Amino acid sequence: MTTSALKVEKATKKFPGVKALDSVSLDLQPGEIHALLGENGAGKSTLIKIITGVYRPDEGEIQIAGDLVNFTSPQQALAAGIGTVHQERNLIPHYSIAENIMLDRLPTKFGLIDRNYMRQHAKHWMGVLDLHIDPDLPVRRLSVAQMQLVEIAQALSMQSRILLLDEPTASITGNETAILFNLLRRLKDEGVATLFVSHKLEEVFELCDKVTILRDGRNACESVLIKELDKQKIVTHMIGRDEDVSDIGKRKDNLGSTKLELKNVSTARGHHRINLQVKEGEVLGIYGLVGAGRSELAKAIMGAERITGGEIRIDGKPARIKSVQDALQNWRIGYVSENRKEEGLILAHSVAKNTGITIWHRLGKVLSLFTDAMERLEIKPFVEKLNVITPSLEQSVGNLSGGNQQKVSVAKWLAAQVEILIIDEPTVGIDIRTKGYLHRLIWNLAEQGVAVLLISSDMSEMVLLADRVVVMKDMQIVGDLPNNHQYEGMSSQIMHCIHASGSEVGETVEDGVLASQGA
Amino acid sequence: MKKFNFSSLLAKADWLPILGVTVLSIIILSFIAPAFLTRTNLFVMLRILSVTAIVAMAQMIVIGLGQMNLAVGAIGGLVAILFGGMMEVYGISVPLAALIGLLIGIACGFINGALIAFTGINGFIVTLATMSIYTGLNYGITESIPFYHMPEQLIAWYDSYLGPIPNIVFIPLVTATLVALFLFRHPWGRYILAVGGNPAAAELSGISVRKTTLVAHTVSGTLGALAGVVSVARLGTAEPTIGAVWLLPSFAAPVIGGAVLAGGHVSVVGTMIAVVMILLLENGLFIARTNPYYMDFFLGLLILAAVVFNRWRTIKSEKKEAAVVIGEKV
Repeated sequence: MTTSALKVEKATKKFPGVKALDSVSLDLQPGEIHALLGENGAGKSTLIKIITGVYRPDEGEIQIAGDLVNFTSPQQALAAGIGTVHQERNLIPHYSIAENIMLDRLPTKFGLIDRNYMRQHAKHWMGVLDLHIDPDLPVRRLSVAQMQLVEIAQALSMQSRILLLDEPTASITGNETAILFNLLRRLKDEGVATLFVSHKLEEVFELCDKVTILRDGRNACESVLIKELDKQKIVTHMIGRDEDVSDIGKRKDNLGSTKLELKNVSTARGHHRINLQVKEGEVLGIYGLVGAGRSELAKAIMGAERITGGEIRIDGKPARIKSVQDALQNWRIGYVSENRKEEGLILAHSVAKNTGITIWHRLGKVLSLFTDAMERLEIKPFVEKLNVITPSLEQSVGNLSGGNQQKVSVAKWLAAQVEILIIDEPTVGIDIRTKGYLHRLIWNLAEQGVAVLLISSDMSEMVLLADRVVVMKDMQIVGDLPNNHQYEGMSSQIMHCIHASGSEVGETVEDGVLASQGA
Repeated sequence: MKKFNFSSLLAKADWLPILGVTVLSIIILSFIAPAFLTRTNLFVMLRILSVTAIVAMAQMIVIGLGQMNLAVGAIGGLVAILFGGMMEVYGISVPLAALIGLLIGIACGFINGALIAFTGINGFIVTLATMSIYTGLNYGITESIPFYHMPEQLIAWYDSYLGPIPNIVFIPLVTATLVALFLFRHPWGRYILAVGGNPAAAELSGISVRKTTLVAHTVSGTLGALAGVVSVARLGTAEPTIGAVWLLPSFAAPVIGGAVLAGGHVSVVGTMIAVVMILLLENGLFIARTNPYYMDFFLGLLILAAVVFNRWRTIKSEKKEAAVVIGEKV
């Protein structure tokens, strides 16, 4: 073939506590659409940030059209002809569409911005995407889909030879997607090289020529023709299910009385008539695709979202949970957030403080005062029990690996001795060994009589751990299934629940691993 | 149980470098200016310290929360003139007037906190507005005329000794100790730093961000009021201008002392050393007979030097820690 448009060779990138990329390679040819796939935390976004000069690789090299490049800033990547649509929105809300599209090269006339030319130019690129709105509108007034299209228009207006699209279809509709795909095919014929990140496998099969898959920061496969793969093979590459599903042994079955019960619960976030029950010592799985409302339901139970109807009962008694503080201190409910960096941990604080945070209110004696030693004494057993690998309890959690951070976010609830624990996506972006460890831990908790609500998009995890699986879709419960721990049967039953309730979910891949957002 | 570990002390005590600079300054000053180490000069400095230290503590608590209290000086000024007025005009006894003064400070801080917590408006804007409100009340009441006749009892108390220790040393030390106990050993203090570190995580860990904001601003207002009362005792008059120039040192001291302006980390010891450092700068310039009008210029340089140093140290330690953790193959 010809010279690669973009070639990444053995790129490695380390962050405190984690190797985000480990010797990753990728070969993007001119005139091809190349899919980049991987689970959340597999390293896709890091790879894109390396290509676009946001990060610098610790090892490895990048070539553009055969020339070695060493970007130190995103501007250099732009100048080298790489147009990017990042996963996060990068628009300035109070600026107009035209200003956003032309921001890095505002046209001037007599030293002032040439608004006419800017408008025309923007209009042209919006037209290419079939987006017919006033280019003078401030971006903040647009819908999410329109913003997404503006960003794509911005990337196109660079007329780059290399186009990186990180989940460009995440928030646009089928019709807009079709327009975008036609355009990408046309660009392909003109020799533009496109790297396309998506969680929707249907799209990948429809659009792409080649595929590179990342798993845990490594190449699961590199620049393979898409014809050589089918959906099942791709999913296996992404989740590596064979090694993933470890045998975690048997669990003592000692279900107690009903601990938590939701009766016809509706919430301000749109949940409608939610009914579910969890017994002491039971692991109840809550499965659903993105947007099904699982985390929001968890937060409603925790008192962080408003409940507008129905009733929550704990130990058979009605429970009006007013706040998270109330949930923790009076009802003994804990919540391990799926978003451990933003919602779970205080990264700059020590392991001790992150674990002790749930028990400070009851540590002290005289005037509620307590010492570091008293805190350590209380939390140490839990940190040790969870096998948190840290140089000391004083270490900032920001410097621990993802797996150990997750152990800390679980440890703080163990220290609080909660009786109901909601665990949201416990193993996203976590290495396989720690994953197995956390799985065993969840079962241990249940064995000790804790009622566990497990939220996971990882089907194999769900089938492995849950006693029962509640299936959610569009803020409602569409199924409540006993789990027989047989992957094939269970996964098709669960997916059947989602499809049978009828709507457009079929576009998303059948294996829920791909469903959760972010990477 | 635990052996004394010098390297871990070094790692924890991020104020050691500024302590070194401070001690060095003292040594240099005592050599080049014989007037520096005289009893009179030390007392001049301690009198200023007794107020500035409390002001710095008041601001530091709100910085720990990740916010600012621009109204610290305005609260101090308002409480100062009300304290003075109560004693001069109404003949209220010193302790009772001081108590009422503190209650007013509590109310001012509570109003700040409540406005921020329940409207969700940025603390900068809220305290900017209340700064103007409290200052305006102060000038409106006094028409800019001080209360001159403070009771002898007050001034005598300020100049008295507790055992061998003069009160002016005792006041800032006790305040700093109480603040340290509150921030690091009391649940509410810990909550403030947790909210400053990550409000979303704190809320989901069972901490009420609202109540914590309320508590932090109330404590800050109380300390601002205390600084106002001590100011009146120090000056012997209740001047409306008390608090007018507190803003700069109130931020300078915590930041030089190692506080993270985004919240979550403050150092009581560091802030106290920084207060001494700022004092030495003022006093040194005075004793060295330089033009005192250059004071702000040098204070600005000191702040910049301190934050550049802190930034450099943070980057260095982050790199080191990253290397260590990966090296261990966790």
